[in-house]
Amino acid sequence: MTAWGRFISENRGPLLVTPALAVLVLMNIFPLLWSFGLSFFKYRANRLQEPEFIWFKNYFKVLTDDRVWNRFQTTAMVVSIDVLLQLIVGFLLALMFEKQFPGRRVLLMLVLTPMMLSFVAVGAFFRYYYEPTFGLLSQAIKSITGEPFILLASPAGAIAGIIFADVWMWSPFVMLLVLAGLVSVPKHLYEAAEIDRTSWWRRFWTITFPYIRGLLLLAILFRTIEAFKLFDIVFLITEGGPGTSTETIAVYVYRVAFQYFKTSQSAALGYILLFVVIVLTNLYLYFVRRRAEEN
Amino acid sequence: MKLRITRSLALLAGAAAFLGAAAFGSIASAKDITINMAVPDWPPTRIMQDLANKHYKAPSGNNVKLVLDFIPWPNYYEKLAASLTSGEEKYQMAVSDSQWLGANIEGGYYLKLNKFIDADPELQAVFKDLHPNLVASYSTYPHKSDNYYGFPQMPDVLIAYYRKDLFCNADEQAAFKGKYGYDLPCDPQAMNNTDWDMINDFGEFFRRGSGDTLAGETLTDDFYGIAYQAGIGYDFNTMQINGFIWQHGAGIWDETKEPDGKALGVVNSDKAVAAFEHYLSLLQHMPPVVKTGTMDIFKVDELFRESKVAWIIQWIGFGESALSPDTSKVYDKVDFAMMPGLRADDGSIIRWSNIGGQPFVLTTWNSDEVTQEALDFCKWWLTSGTQTMFAKAGGQSGLRSVHTTEEYKTYRPWNHAFGPSLDWQKDVWHIPEFFELLVQQQQEFDKAITGQISAKEAMDHIAQFQDELLREAGRIE
Repeated sequence: MTAWGRFISENRGPLLVTPALAVLVLMNIFPLLWSFGLSFFKYRANRLQEPEFIWFKNYFKVLTDDRVWNRFQTTAMVVSIDVLLQLIVGFLLALMFEKQFPGRRVLLMLVLTPMMLSFVAVGAFFRYYYEPTFGLLSQAIKSITGEPFILLASPAGAIAGIIFADVWMWSPFVMLLVLAGLVSVPKHLYEAAEIDRTSWWRRFWTITFPYIRGLLLLAILFRTIEAFKLFDIVFLITEGGPGTSTETIAVYVYRVAFQYFKTSQSAALGYILLFVVIVLTNLYLYFVRRRAEEN
Repeated sequence: MKLRITRSLALLAGAAAFLGAAAFGSIASAKDITINMAVPDWPPTRIMQDLANKHYKAPSGNNVKLVLDFIPWPNYYEKLAASLTSGEEKYQMAVSDSQWLGANIEGGYYLKLNKFIDADPELQAVFKDLHPNLVASYSTYPHKSDNYYGFPQMPDVLIAYYRKDLFCNADEQAAFKGKYGYDLPCDPQAMNNTDWDMINDFGEFFRRGSGDTLAGETLTDDFYGIAYQAGIGYDFNTMQINGFIWQHGAGIWDETKEPDGKALGVVNSDKAVAAFEHYLSLLQHMPPVVKTGTMDIFKVDELFRESKVAWIIQWIGFGESALSPDTSKVYDKVDFAMMPGLRADDGSIIRWSNIGGQPFVLTTWNSDEVTQEALDFCKWWLTSGTQTMFAKAGGQSGLRSVHTTEEYKTYRPWNHAFGPSLDWQKDVWHIPEFFELLVQQQQEFDKAITGQISAKEAMDHIAQFQDELLREAGRIE
């Protein structure tokens, strides 16, 4: 065996991983570190001025900006309601699809379709769906009330419209996870519970729930992180309006970065957002671990 | 004699060889040059591509290929800005909204044209021929200075589109006169003489519900009188509101008065608030989508082409799609007039409006050769012949020698409204901070449009924000 061949056979593992690592470093780690460094400078990508090191000023500016807190509040509200509704709808769908019934496969495929569509398609669809002159929703309600229905005219209606679109799109994802948990429950446990004549609630709480708990937490984790980054649907349906009532923090970061070109300030805001998501993730993981230890 | 013939043949052969060599030489030295240009995807740029493909031949003899990158309007700014700032140096030219001049000049992306204009009498003649409002808006930075950066690609103004089948219908005219006591304008000349009070009447008069009669036909859906832009996106309410502000004698923050020009007390002056209230007062006659703050120029265009509205204000650039049977249900029922204005005491109409359209600019990273080819293309574009072809195909010309002719008015049905409107055009800010000013203003206007706050509150918030931002930027002392 040549020296080169020996080197390959001795380092097969690291060599196989190297291309993936190189891509990760090039596409993720380096830009992350670069933008993190940038967040300590005064810098705009569309100006000729040299970057100026300003320590934590960008973070201070962002954290003392009323607009940022206002967008965080909007985001928190949207995320809370959105994820909760996705869990409820996804869970109910999973309970329905746990049972075998005629047409189940076709129906399951249809229910999963929204999740496979692009954000732009969903956003454009709902923009027309809610449109008061031509839109289906308005036309349907008008046939009853005689008046066009203008859902997006008020801040509450606009938030409801965005949440409905996101729930429609992502509840099937929660359903898939929960369904995986439900089908993994051993049948003999239900049979034993049947013999013991336990109530539906007790069966659910003591048999079903322990099997789906981990997956539910995973669903909450994934959906919270995703909902925190909610951008496309908001931008396409309401453009953040009426006024600023549906402008989420992700939309605001986009404006600061690509419309105002406050590059380093948007980097600081991006890292604050990342920090929030990491904290939330760790909170969830902490609860998962604690439950596992209890068991 | 034989000697003479031999000599003549030798001379002829020599001349032929010289001509051949010259011709061969010129072919051999002709270079392939590609000019990539970022353009918004809409009829005026599509027409430009078509005309360039058919008619443009570079005077240098080089094989110049113009490649237009058509980018949809809604994300045009972001895509162009991303390309410019990324350093990819993809575009040699770009169609740029006039508001972006400051940001992209300060960034070092747009080429200053003064030295080329100074050295070229043809370019000087072009600038002399252009309408001064177009030069100020499309070419200068700082605004109204002597620094030139752009040439008009498609000058555009807001005009009125209206349904002549409704306005000229005898029953509707009689009913209108009976109700309001004056004639419903029918032909473009009469429609040119409309003020906002009359527009309010049109809006009220043509509002019909499903089952009502309109011009002798029973409607199967709701119909609305008027519509103009009131959308939160980009500049889709500012462009209309600025017209009201200027017509009422108020102003926006004036960048030409920097650093003494104020925002507080100017932007939220009593006249400015009254102007905005005037704008808001007409929204009641518009399709219900206006209450969502998403009635942008594209929605207004769609509502009109779908035969939901009798009268709209729209950019000329949308005219072709309103007249095409492929895209418009009302293609054979449309006419055009000047945008209305505020009636002055002497009976004249004050028509100030925010200019639309775009200049094209050259980028700074081009070689001298490419710059020269790009300038030659601009010169070709701004010749009378090309501008006439462009106008006949649906574009507009900023050259006074072209758009002031009687013949020009016959090219397209809106052309009669273009020239006189140019005198009434002003522009929004050109400074690099324009987008932050614009987004906040759009959002505050939108809050008032959707009924969350009053006009006064909106103007106060805008003035306060502008004062803070412009002070921080060192533009107000």
